Amino acid sequence: MHNYNEFISLMGNKIISKIEKPKRLYFEVENKNIKEVAEYLFNKLGCRLSTATGTETYRGIEVLYHFSHDKTGEYYCPRVVMKDKNNPKMNSITPIVRGAEWIEREMAEMLGITFEGHPRPELLLTGNHPQNIKVPLRKWRSNG
Amino acid sequence: MGWYNKRLAKSIWVYHMSASPCNNCDIEILDLLTPKYDIERFGIKLVGSVRHADVILLSGVINQKVEPQVKKIYEQAAKPCFVVGVGSCPASGCCFNASYNIVAKREDVIPIDLYIPGCPPKPEAMIEGVVKLVGVLNA
Amino acid sequence: MDKNVIPVGPYHPLLEEAEYFTLQVDGETVVDIDLEIGWMHRGHEFISESKTFTQSLYLVERICGICSTSHPLAAVHAMEDVDNIEIPLRARYIRTLVGELERIHSHLLWLGLAGHFIGYDTLWMWAWKYREPVLQMFEIISGNRNHYGMMRVGGVAKDVDPEKVKSLLDIMDEIEKKIQMIAKAATDDPVLKSRLKGVGVLTKKDAIDFCAVGPTARASGVPIDVRKDEPTDAYDLVDFKIIVTENGDVFNKTVVRLLETFESIKICKQCLEKLKTVNGGIINNVKEISPGEGIGRYEAPRGEVFHYVRTDGTNRPVRHKVRAPSYVNIPTFKASCKGIPVADALITLAAVDPCYCCTERSLKIRDKNNEPYQLDLMKLSREKTEELRRQMK
Repeated sequence: MHNYNEFISLMGNKIISKIEKPKRLYFEVENKNIKEVAEYLFNKLGCRLSTATGTETYRGIEVLYHFSHDKTGEYYCPRVVMKDKNNPKMNSITPIVRGAEWIEREMAEMLGITFEGHPRPELLLTGNHPQNIKVPLRKWRSNG
Repeated sequence: MGWYNKRLAKSIWVYHMSASPCNNCDIEILDLLTPKYDIERFGIKLVGSVRHADVILLSGVINQKVEPQVKKIYEQAAKPCFVVGVGSCPASGCCFNASYNIVAKREDVIPIDLYIPGCPPKPEAMIEGVVKLVGVLNA
Repeated sequence: MDKNVIPVGPYHPLLEEAEYFTLQVDGETVVDIDLEIGWMHRGHEFISESKTFTQSLYLVERICGICSTSHPLAAVHAMEDVDNIEIPLRARYIRTLVGELERIHSHLLWLGLAGHFIGYDTLWMWAWKYREPVLQMFEIISGNRNHYGMMRVGGVAKDVDPEKVKSLLDIMDEIEKKIQMIAKAATDDPVLKSRLKGVGVLTKKDAIDFCAVGPTARASGVPIDVRKDEPTDAYDLVDFKIIVTENGDVFNKTVVRLLETFESIKICKQCLEKLKTVNGGIINNVKEISPGEGIGRYEAPRGEVFHYVRTDGTNRPVRHKVRAPSYVNIPTFKASCKGIPVADALITLAAVDPCYCCTERSLKIRDKNNEPYQLDLMKLSREKTEELRRQMK
């Protein structure tokens, strides 16, 4: 746990809120800081990106990245909440972490998020079938 | 066509088509070729092109991306061609019926003649299914 | 966009033209590769929002048929992580036993397919024949050859009968002898070695950049393994080592998988010995899970399986995120397929051991003017083996 204290004091007021559990740290940052946080976690601490989760909540569209620190088995999970549900936009971390390319494409497809700076924003999983449902993981859709 | 079916029953050539399965049924189908079950002693052979096939083995729930291709392949098969649905997925959709991405009714896409249920069906069950098919052809 | 007749992901790898991978070739060398996936997408994350916790364990089992213990194990770890639930000691040994048996059967399956791709059909038949006793053990323990339904939040669903432990140990001894024979035959063969060495190299830097996991990463020198990084169940109570090699080619990936099989046999024997003496219950009845988030993972035969669960105090998860290991391993093709001869493309693509439900293995090939043409990759692969064999005589 001492690692988390060091990290938290380094990030300072970039962290808006946090939940600390044994070996898990979930913290919220703003969109403008996510690239810096990802750069620190991937390049300086040597974490590996496991994956990212996109969810629709009451507060907005939320993207939660999961960075794994393999030497200690701990997880650092930065969260970005986009309040504009009609047009959610955030910075892409693919230029920093190459392994994020597919998961950001998938979240864009499932939830309608635009990742600015992503090199290949194409559909990954669903095809161009006429009965295809767009953005299937969004709960409140205005048209079907 | 009785005489044709009798000839067919002596040595059935099978084409395996997997349309969005979880691959368990596919591995059990390949297990039939291995020494413990050895289906080749019945003259049944797995072929690589649907044009050579007498029976199509279908596994998996058909999802929307795959649906046009399943239809295309069925049209290309030389008739008469029997379709056997292996596993619970072609029979009932298994647990995926709530999904947004699968077709509602598999029989609308490709007509299925024989179902072998199970998740996955044991190789013994699949051999029994094939024997039933051979019995129907011989009759 | 070119279109040819497409057999829909035939599992029997007599590949004809299809549209999942696109290889760009220049003469005899692969220049670039691109992938299209989505043929197996069934919408698990959408369905799991309407199922209870125990129902979703049956659903995640059916994500993949080969690694059908790894997904339920990671899911129960995630659900137990929300509240830090403890599980009984006997349940820990049973979970580890089932997980390691699955690793043995999956690696033998891969070995058989690799043999089939390069033309050694005997290796295929042997590897799959000696996979049958492992499936028999599964049937004794859980009642089914695949899709066991053994995991529950708080423990396991079925106990191992103490009278059966002796017969299980006998089957393990027999399997070990046979696998030693196959491993020796496979690694001593000079044609096989020359076919696999130096092919499809993934460097350590690329493995870290793409965030690769499992034997794909361990063969390139990255020592990550969930069983040692964050030991759960009985992995901190048994003795084993993780296998890491340096070169990152297909031969190294084979060696890593073979040696891991022997380590798994060691772990299984230790668990079975402990199950003779350890007493106690097999499940800790959990009535409810409080609101929160949980992360669970497990080392599947292909790498790290990651599950994330968010709960709100009811008996259904709000969000259940699944990430299979092939999702991060398959993009590494972009790095390992550059510059290899086309005849080696198939074995390189198979060396990552793509779980076929996460990917489909059929290919479309274009020449340097982006015109499509047809190549039977399996035939090319086998012809190269024949040629090497002739040269060695």
